[in-house]
Amino acid sequence: MSQPEDLSITLTTAAEKSATGVSLGRDAWRRLRRNRMAMVCLGTLIAITALALFTPLLPLAPPDKHHTNLQYEPPKFSPLFERTYDFDWKSVEESQSRIAELEQKLASADKREANKITLEMENILLRPYRDAGYPTVGAISRWMIRVRSHVFGDINLASFAGRDEFGRDLLSRVFWGARISIVVGIVATLVSLLIGVTYGAVSGYVGGWLDEVMMRFVDILYSIPFIFVVIFIITVLSDEKIKSRLQDMGIDRITIFYFVVGAIYWLTMARVVRGQVISLRTEPFIESAKALGASQTRIIALHILPNLLSVVIVYLTLTIPRVMLFEAFLSFLGLGVEPPDVSWGLLANEGIKVITPVKIYWWLIVYPSLALGVTLYALNFLGDGLRDALDPRLASRRS
Amino acid sequence: MFGRTVFLIVMVVTGLAAVAWAVYGSRLAPADFSFTNETEIATVDPALATGQPEMRIIQSLFEGLGRQSPKDTHFAPGAAEKWEISEDGRVYTFHLRHDARWSNGEPVTARDFSYSIRRLLDPLTYSRYAYEGWYLVNGKKYTLASELAAGDPVEIEMNLAAGVPNTVRGELLLGKLVRREASAAKSNATAAKGDDAEPKQDIFVVEIDGKERRFKVAEATDRVPKDVERCRQVLLDFREVGLKVIDDYTLELRLTNPTPYFLDLLAYYPLAPVNQACVEKYGSPDWLRPEHIVTNGPFRMVARRLRDRVRLVRSDTYWDRENVKLNVVDALSVDDRTTAFNLYMTRMVDWDTVPPAEVLRELLKEPRNDLNPAPQLTTYYFLLNTTRPPLDDKRVRQALSMAIDREEVTRVATGAGEIPAYSLVPPSMPGYHKQECKPFDPAAARKLLAEAGFPEGQGFPRIEILYNTDQAHQAIAELIRKQWQNNLGITATLRNEEWGSYQDSIQQLKFTVARRAWVGDYMDPNTYADMFVTGGENNNTGFANPEYDKLISDAATEVDKTKRMELLEKSERMLMDEQPIIPVYFYVSRNMVRPWVRGFYNTLQDVHPIRDIWIDRSVKQDDPRPNEYMEPVK
Amino acid sequence: MLAVPGGPYSAERNLPPELEANFKHRYRTDLPWYEQYTFDLSRDLTGDLGMSSRLQDFSVNQVIKEGLPISASLGIFALFFAIVLGLSAGIVSALYRGSIADFSLMSLATVGIAIPSFVVAGLAIMLFVFVIPIFPAAGWGTLRQLVLPSLCLGLAYAAEIARITRTGMLDALSQDYVRTARAKGLSEFMVAIRHALPTALLPVVSYLGPAVAGILTGSVVIEKIFAIPGLGWHFVQAALQRDLTLAMGLVLLYTVLLYTMNFIVDLSYGILDPRVELK
Repeated sequence: MSQPEDLSITLTTAAEKSATGVSLGRDAWRRLRRNRMAMVCLGTLIAITALALFTPLLPLAPPDKHHTNLQYEPPKFSPLFERTYDFDWKSVEESQSRIAELEQKLASADKREANKITLEMENILLRPYRDAGYPTVGAISRWMIRVRSHVFGDINLASFAGRDEFGRDLLSRVFWGARISIVVGIVATLVSLLIGVTYGAVSGYVGGWLDEVMMRFVDILYSIPFIFVVIFIITVLSDEKIKSRLQDMGIDRITIFYFVVGAIYWLTMARVVRGQVISLRTEPFIESAKALGASQTRIIALHILPNLLSVVIVYLTLTIPRVMLFEAFLSFLGLGVEPPDVSWGLLANEGIKVITPVKIYWWLIVYPSLALGVTLYALNFLGDGLRDALDPRLASRRS
Repeated sequence: MFGRTVFLIVMVVTGLAAVAWAVYGSRLAPADFSFTNETEIATVDPALATGQPEMRIIQSLFEGLGRQSPKDTHFAPGAAEKWEISEDGRVYTFHLRHDARWSNGEPVTARDFSYSIRRLLDPLTYSRYAYEGWYLVNGKKYTLASELAAGDPVEIEMNLAAGVPNTVRGELLLGKLVRREASAAKSNATAAKGDDAEPKQDIFVVEIDGKERRFKVAEATDRVPKDVERCRQVLLDFREVGLKVIDDYTLELRLTNPTPYFLDLLAYYPLAPVNQACVEKYGSPDWLRPEHIVTNGPFRMVARRLRDRVRLVRSDTYWDRENVKLNVVDALSVDDRTTAFNLYMTRMVDWDTVPPAEVLRELLKEPRNDLNPAPQLTTYYFLLNTTRPPLDDKRVRQALSMAIDREEVTRVATGAGEIPAYSLVPPSMPGYHKQECKPFDPAAARKLLAEAGFPEGQGFPRIEILYNTDQAHQAIAELIRKQWQNNLGITATLRNEEWGSYQDSIQQLKFTVARRAWVGDYMDPNTYADMFVTGGENNNTGFANPEYDKLISDAATEVDKTKRMELLEKSERMLMDEQPIIPVYFYVSRNMVRPWVRGFYNTLQDVHPIRDIWIDRSVKQDDPRPNEYMEPVK
Repeated sequence: MLAVPGGPYSAERNLPPELEANFKHRYRTDLPWYEQYTFDLSRDLTGDLGMSSRLQDFSVNQVIKEGLPISASLGIFALFFAIVLGLSAGIVSALYRGSIADFSLMSLATVGIAIPSFVVAGLAIMLFVFVIPIFPAAGWGTLRQLVLPSLCLGLAYAAEIARITRTGMLDALSQDYVRTARAKGLSEFMVAIRHALPTALLPVVSYLGPAVAGILTGSVVIEKIFAIPGLGWHFVQAALQRDLTLAMGLVLLYTVLLYTMNFIVDLSYGILDPRVELK
């Protein structure tokens, strides 16, 4: 079948490097450092991730706070700060006492009751945040919000990016959307990595008829338009009864994403890893390890997997953009994250929906696309840079 | 090298040729008049359709005893040219015109109507509008075999031979029902499996020509007890139904109760005739294909392309063809509102049925000559599933209703100046006094919710709002979710489904809160009120109140007009108090129609028969003379 | 497949029990799921893909018959644009390596991969339908109506092809046999086209497999925005409406198409590889 990426070329270098004993990582890192554009991209990505992580700390308006009288307000830059932030401290304190009550009840409850009480506790905890306009947030984020409220009081940044249909601040939504988009990208890719590496490593290492069968299986799966299957699965899982049961177990749409989306992208990874493992398998240092009596597992874990790292890292940086675009695609179909959660895909979709020849609310499409575009651009460029850094022969032709 | 180049060139040329063939092979000449028809229609079978997009097409293809007149949608002569109504309002006699023809040249006769109405009532047709035929004497009993009792005359339809189209009726045996024997295993099965159980069929003991025979509804491959014969179905003898063919051109309909709006019902598409020979020759759904279908309306269907368009061409056998001005009409199925609007703006269509809200808001800032929002007889409301706690508590339902700021909804999520609704029946219903539910009052709502056991929304389960996929419905649902969160402290999530699945879910009560809209089928409050009788097909809320049912059935038999209205008003007062539904807003006409489109009137039921539309080529875009659509509506 | 809840029949009215039993029997939903599945499969293998359960008047075969030529032309056109634009951009970039043209083209290419297709489509409509009115807004029937959708669909793949071509060209241009050709006195352009390009084409050809797959699925978005009645949109609607027969039929069709396409690509790869001697 057709060869996927030309990542297979990197394998010689990795094996050579291992054989001669020079640390692959340090060498590659040095080469990467010299590629200025790639370093800029790396820096951008780190900055974006940091901003996303610390979003609850920033003096932004909450992403789900409606101000319907300010519907579709264009971007505003002055006054720079407004005093419109509203966080109800009292209810946070009140909820503490109620939580204590419920915790007592929890101790003596049976399994089903316990479930209900846990959900009730969660509801009470989240209530002041939901009222303020935040989506469902975890404990750390809640702490960050409280810190922000203490430090900045009722000060908000003005809506630099304008407002949407319900008067929600777009700037805030872009920041909060980053959290979900990036996490979806990373986690789904990691899932595909886990499946793909395991599958490919096993297939490549074991070889023989098992390898044949496993790869044939991959070939067949390659021809199935998985994207359609995913759509189908998500629709099925959105059925009322199933959805409520899943929600009771704590699985919401996003969790489904991680696994289902990850399950699409493992195929290429499996192939690439298999190719790498096959060539590694016949390398002299593997032979000597075997001669020394190392077990199969030890060989795979200590010798093969580390050499896969380069291929895997490059693949990661190139798959995350695809996953994020797929999430945007699902949002377009209405199968993406649900309000009050927000993702870049959802924002891009909302922005496109209101483009009409009569009036264009340009900020609704420009800012989310910019955020998405810059991140994906940086990821792609970094991926290219990593590929060059790990295979200098290719790099000289490329640059 | 040479071989390789040749190979490449061959591939490229083949590819491009394929494209050209695909595009030009299916080209259609431009139409006289095009409009966007909201979505891909489900069917063109008058007995099976339910939505407005379907109605627009079916109305042009089929003509019933009467048709809806363009100015006020009242009954105007169609296939029938005159009629008499008896003193007590129960017997209607129609005289069909002699020059009404099917598209294959055959005359339209009373027998066609008899066939079609029977087909509508036939349970095997699975018609969603069968109940329109229940106004006839014994109509309901014909459709619902479960009501058959000992002593009723019955007709037994035998199974069809293999290969016979599914629309043909099997051989008929006529007799009298002696008794029904419930299948022995029935009660056990239903008890064990719940509502998913398959009900076992009864055995019907029927006396035919003096002999008793036993029948069971079963296919040839099903096992039946030894002395039991298989049949396709057992129904009331159709001769018991209040429909009589007096002669080829005279039809008599007898109603159970005098029904003031019966004529308007007859102009509505479910009671339109279909051609028996065509239906029985090709079977369903093949008879609906453009190359097979036989129709009697002002237009014929010449092409139907999935998710593209339906092309209608003027019929040259229609009795009034002289007055049908349009020759070729395209109904485009465009799902996306923005795309539909783009088509309108680039003049590829002349009528956009539903522009997006943002656009409407922008456009209405200045006077236009193609947009005339006027009140319509349509209500947008939310269904509450009263079988699911905590919605089984009236106080909870009222609290939910009082926590919705309808002004905000119509200001933010709709664009044409829709009217906030506090009642089910729209104010534009003539002769009716509106009955409103409690207004927007968050404080009172919170108090009610606390009384019901959920102070500040504590302990209130997460509820889900269902709507059919559409930009506008999503915006409204999102707003309401937020309003409930802010005003009551409860959490709601949204769920959207496609039109088909959404109807399924509503029907099977698989929702907690669901969006709904209802266009009046005829100009009488009963079209809204009788939805909510116990077990009504369009109830969808689990609302079951015997007092309410009595009010409705009393109104159906009440002859005095004023008293009747009072009964209906009383029923709506009960409905607004119990609140199984939450009215949100009343629709406003948002059609966008070019100035050169004439004969298009702003009607309350949003019905615009294409038969009466014509294009005036002399009118330009900025012509100061308003067309009929722009006339102010009283 | 038929374990999907909600069932295929959209009955708006509550059916009385006898009718419902009748109905279940007619659609064979009263059989256990494994029996239903084999029934469908055996019928599918005879070429009759069954009746759509949501589109009451259409059979699956009819849907495919109507939608396939449309989607196919959209796809072929998009592929054509992708290849032509991508190749040209890649070749120019490689020839003028390091220049502003190279940098801007490659940046543009990366941008093309980083923006979702529906954003591109929305902006393209604004630009080329309303600001500069050269293309129709939507619909299907003329060649002009095909241009904008194909462009939007093919753009992401053009970008990828441009990058691959550039790499391949640079790779080929540094090979020995190319240096020989240069030494022979041929112009740079001729060297590029006649000697470097065939080798550079190989990775492009091998990319075509995934490109076709991507175009098939990407067409969903484009078809919705431009109101093109193709199979991609039919499929999404089938899945969203749980129209199982139609969904299954289309998945089968797509699988067959993809398999065939991959096969053709492998074949072309074999034919075009200059290292392989053609007899």
